[in-house]
Amino acid sequence: MYVMHNSEYPLSCFALFENGPCLVADANFDTLMVKLKGFFQNAKANKIESRGTRYQYCDFLVKLGTVTMGPSARGISVEVEYCPCVIANDCWNLLMEFMQSFMGSHTPGIPSVFGAKHDSVYSPGDTMVQYMELFNKIRKQQQVPVAGIR
Amino acid sequence: MEAPPVTMMPVTGGTINMMEYLLQGSVLDQSLESLLHRLRGLCDNMEPETFLDHEMVFLLKGQQASPFVLRARRSMDKTGMPWHLRYLGQPEIGDKNRHALVRNCVDIATSDNLTDFLVEMGFRMDHEFVAKGHVFRKGIMKIVVYKIFRILMPGNTESIEPLSLSYLVELNVVAPAGQDVVSDDMRNFAEQLKPLVHLEKIDPKRLM
Repeated sequence: MYVMHNSEYPLSCFALFENGPCLVADANFDTLMVKLKGFFQNAKANKIESRGTRYQYCDFLVKLGTVTMGPSARGISVEVEYCPCVIANDCWNLLMEFMQSFMGSHTPGIPSVFGAKHDSVYSPGDTMVQYMELFNKIRKQQQVPVAGIR
Repeated sequence: MEAPPVTMMPVTGGTINMMEYLLQGSVLDQSLESLLHRLRGLCDNMEPETFLDHEMVFLLKGQQASPFVLRARRSMDKTGMPWHLRYLGQPEIGDKNRHALVRNCVDIATSDNLTDFLVEMGFRMDHEFVAKGHVFRKGIMKIVVYKIFRILMPGNTESIEPLSLSYLVELNVVAPAGQDVVSDDMRNFAEQLKPLVHLEKIDPKRLM
């Protein structure tokens, strides 16, 4: 089970299972996890975070972060959000065009959460699922001497 | 009943330990109206608030002898409200002078996929019930008068029957740890409700 926090939603805590439900709870959820420590093992060594700057460009929000696991940097994360739209499929083409303008060949393909969602409303939980997938990819990567970009 | 500034309270692990102070009692159905009338007079002036909640109690069995209990509560009559997840610790074995039952509590508001999530974590539902009643407030004290209904078919909250011919009355306060003056204020308030209802400290262990 992954417990995640996002500075964009400072009062919330996200708890998710891979391919399972994503619970959105308030900050007291962390206190509950402390109480549950007899039942669950806290894999502190696996803690991973992305920290950086957030840029607002008209209706777009771009967050560039350095992904670190403990003391070592493991990669760079780029998050792009088109704020006015809540239906994923309606703005994917626009997002892709915008990303190509500054990411060129590094532009990613359509995220898997969009496939499941189709025409339903996008929510912060979907963002957390994408971060979880990205962080898992980075965890599995071998550590390279030069910082790799994903 | 001014609480000291939050920064003065002992902090463990980055958060403040909240405690629930509780007094309980009950009244027969026929005495409900007079109790509500007295409470309307004594409590803060607010719109009379009724509630209809569905609560499910989940257990996680681990290597420990006693399972971990979590309570998931949802409103059946108010739309858009988050689900309420609650953990209650063991009652503190304090001195006999403490007038209320004190136990650690953690309250969390969650999204509505809470039951799926708890099952995924390994919890299993132990029992469920419907609670219907009234809520009153006086300062930081909350007074709840409600009736418990048994659910006849699991998962179906439409067919319910009352568990007893009485209403449960609870006076509780959620406050940071160490504020024993809270239980004195609760006892003073409970005195004002006598003889309509006798609110006492009831240790759940002694009932088992």
